[in-house]
Amino acid sequence: MKRRSTLAAVLVPALAVALGGCTSDASAGRVELTFLSVAFQDATVEATDDIIQSWNEAHPDIQVTVLQSNYDDVHDQLVTQFQSNTPADLIYNEASDLAGFAHQGYLADLSPLLSEELREDIPEKYWDIVTIDDRVIAAPTLVQSYVVFANTKLLSEAGVAMPSETSLSWSSLRELASSLTTESRYGVGWGLRQPASAMMNTALNYGGTFFDVDSDGSATIEVDDAELAVPDQVHGMLFEDGSMDPTSVTQSTAEVVPGFFAGDYAMFIGASYLAQQLTEGAPEGFSFSVLPPLAGDRGAAQAANPQTLSIAAQSPHQAEAAEFLEYFMAAEHISRLGQSDWLRPVPTSALEHLEQATAEIPVWRPLLETGADLVGAPFTRALDYPQWKLQYATPGLQKYFAGSLSREELAAFWSDGWASISDQ
Amino acid sequence: MTRSVPPSPLRHSIRLNLTRPMQYLALLAYVGFLAFPLVFLATAALKTPGELQSASGGILPATLYLGNLESALTKVNLLGALGNSLGVASASTVVVIAIALPAAYAISRARARLKGVAFAWILISQMFPFILIVIPLFLLLTSFGLVNSLAGLTLVYSVWCLPFALWMLQGHLAHVPLEVEEAGAIDGAGRLRVLSSIVLPLLVPGIVATSLFTFITAYSDFFFALVTIRDERLQTLPLALARFVGAEGVVQLGPLAAASLIATVPSLLFFALIQRRLSSGLLAGAIKG
Amino acid sequence: MLLLPALIPVLLLSVYPLVHGIVLGFTDAQAGYNRPVHFNGIENYARLMSNELFWSSFRVGVIWALSVTVLQFLAALGLALLLNQNLRFRGAARVLALIPWAIPPVIIAIIWRLMLNPTAGPVNSALAAVGLPHDINWLGDPTFALPAVIVVGVWAGMPQTTVVLLAGLQNVRSDLHEAAALDGAGALRRFWHVTLPSLRPVIFAITTLDFIWNFNQFALVYVLTAGGPGGQTMLPMLFAYNEAFKYGNFGYASAMGNVMVVLIALTLVFYLRHQAKERQS
Repeated sequence: MKRRSTLAAVLVPALAVALGGCTSDASAGRVELTFLSVAFQDATVEATDDIIQSWNEAHPDIQVTVLQSNYDDVHDQLVTQFQSNTPADLIYNEASDLAGFAHQGYLADLSPLLSEELREDIPEKYWDIVTIDDRVIAAPTLVQSYVVFANTKLLSEAGVAMPSETSLSWSSLRELASSLTTESRYGVGWGLRQPASAMMNTALNYGGTFFDVDSDGSATIEVDDAELAVPDQVHGMLFEDGSMDPTSVTQSTAEVVPGFFAGDYAMFIGASYLAQQLTEGAPEGFSFSVLPPLAGDRGAAQAANPQTLSIAAQSPHQAEAAEFLEYFMAAEHISRLGQSDWLRPVPTSALEHLEQATAEIPVWRPLLETGADLVGAPFTRALDYPQWKLQYATPGLQKYFAGSLSREELAAFWSDGWASISDQ
Repeated sequence: MTRSVPPSPLRHSIRLNLTRPMQYLALLAYVGFLAFPLVFLATAALKTPGELQSASGGILPATLYLGNLESALTKVNLLGALGNSLGVASASTVVVIAIALPAAYAISRARARLKGVAFAWILISQMFPFILIVIPLFLLLTSFGLVNSLAGLTLVYSVWCLPFALWMLQGHLAHVPLEVEEAGAIDGAGRLRVLSSIVLPLLVPGIVATSLFTFITAYSDFFFALVTIRDERLQTLPLALARFVGAEGVVQLGPLAAASLIATVPSLLFFALIQRRLSSGLLAGAIKG
Repeated sequence: MLLLPALIPVLLLSVYPLVHGIVLGFTDAQAGYNRPVHFNGIENYARLMSNELFWSSFRVGVIWALSVTVLQFLAALGLALLLNQNLRFRGAARVLALIPWAIPPVIIAIIWRLMLNPTAGPVNSALAAVGLPHDINWLGDPTFALPAVIVVGVWAGMPQTTVVLLAGLQNVRSDLHEAAALDGAGALRRFWHVTLPSLRPVIFAITTLDFIWNFNQFALVYVLTAGGPGGQTMLPMLFAYNEAFKYGNFGYASAMGNVMVVLIALTLVFYLRHQAKERQS
């Protein structure tokens, strides 16, 4: 008896699997679309779900389901999905991850599919970022910028005035951090476990462009003082000033948040989306503010690497997917996503919508100001950037910040690495 | 220890008295090292976010906080993933045994040369890194449209487990002497009858051990699921958990601990049930969990 | 000959994919929309020769596999010897010591990520309690990541090795021990001259298997560090995975697999030869 029940326990799921493999869309005439999402903060996941649900209710014949992914895994997932001809119809990702897929022909050209309104709603500089080989491969939605958050209580306790300039130079930041460093706390923390994006984006403060990209996506690299300027500032705070918490540098961005709450560092640098976690998780009596945009000798410019929505070239339902894309890009939707992720909307109408909706929340002003200075950067268009980022940019920075690589070694590692990848 | 002193009975007994406590101490250290992480996981799952973040907190949670368990169950489809894992592992086990049993019989009763080739193959395939198996299988599944399906994943596990299953089964078959079959044949029983009524019962322990090996391998695998499965509702347990660990930008220590704890319970129960068999089955080969 | 049909599924399901995998290593197979595949002879291998990252990952793999195998073996031998003693609570200890075996690698990795968390983990709390430096991010610091990951590897693999060694110990003939004891041999000498020689075949088998398994490890390190920081824990299997499924170079990644099989096989042949010789002498 016992043996038989064991057998049943084994056979039944096996059969279920075998049969489950054969199910297919039963209802004809209905289009099923999949939407690959990388939203990760609760509020954004919820906002995405809400938008999709409202679409599904209004469009019974075009149903959209979410496939949840995340920024760490999305690239691998896209490689396997494209290769196995099973990509999601709609792909939410970031611009710098797309160039390779675009050149491989996996992303649909949106130019014939987009409405005139949407074309005009998005500033031309953003269309440039997502136009590869004369094909528009994505619609840009939101952009993030890196900002300095400050613990207002600690700043006033230390008698430090909140900087009021229109921008905060890196040297002022370092002075500020040093003056806020005490026996028991560091002036600043920065979760740089994955440092590449932060360094690439802020490099434009000093005019660090890294790449010179051809129209076919091939590129040459130049690593010079401008490219190394921001890593140098971080290195200086770690090793010369002793004002940046070295442990924070080895942690992920969000892992640093509890230390900021606990007063382990008076300031912390991170992408604007962290404002959501600061608002959500702040303990009683904790208040923070956002300092003016960081600036180098070329001003406060940062690289625009927008989040994007694309349509798979392999999708049999591109027209329907484009219909959904238009719906998704509506001002109130992008504004809602922007509010939940504390990011700046790219479409002008959505930006205005968000500015009105957040007029009462002071933290939003410096966030939006920082976002205004974003410009396109070559790295988002370089074909092999994702591989170089993973194999050279990230490990090189990690070692540089750990003190096991010198400045010269870092520069050589980056240049030689790029050469060895683009040779292939 | 000085060599010149002859061992006296007194000395001997003192040493014995010291050895035993040391042995217990060492054993305690081992058990502590091996078991503590699980204890820690269980307590972490019951701590509030505040307790988890304060480094000074003790090991035991101050109160039994169930919020982590709740958010683990709502945020990750743990039960669905568990069902997928059990289903795929069971199906793979059935497929592997169905293919390996006749094949192992054929090999064990084959001529020496074929046997040699088969063994060499099995040994080589054990050394194969995953990558050499997963790429061709991925391309194969692509051409059959089986990527992102549990059926495809079952196929992958079957391929992966087959060589070792063959090895284990033929090892057990080698212990069933040919004379038993011949005696049955003399009694007038047909070959199939001999196989099913005489050989098969003798093989049951081997089949059980092989099934366990296959089941555990498929159940705990992560790599193949990572490459094959895309949809959230098709995720196996390890895949669901690995994705829950999450990327940059999210920290959820408590829910993560809770989800891991929930996912560990079935494995522990299963393991408690089979650990005796597993240890004995190991003598015929070896198993990697 | 009637038996041959039984082998056809094996040919289809085991031999074919593996051979296909080997063959892919001699092609330029790459991700891309309907991209044709060509044989390119030894081009992949010529490129691999100068791929410094691959060789540094290979070095990490060897350090990892050797350290884990050796430490695992020593620790497991100690535990097996203890469990072979007539100690009280032996049975309970045996079951408890098997715990890591029951946990899938992904969960093991999650548990240890929590254990080693720099600010909230018990490892650093314990270090703080005894007054040692306690702000090290074990998995995030290039200096400590590999050692930390090795400890987790030892933890994860110890039970299997222990069980095998224990089984081997129980098969050591007790009359040999008694004879040696009568000759006045102390515990240490009996271990060295009686136990170890009779255990030798078991030790071989398990260290060989452990080495292969450890070299092919993926899930544990993927979840613990994903190869970082600074590439310090980039095991060859992670490296090849990235090559195939991040950069889409299927042929090149298969070539890496081929190189690994050959090098590992050579190592093992050398090791087993050496051991066989030792047994003869």
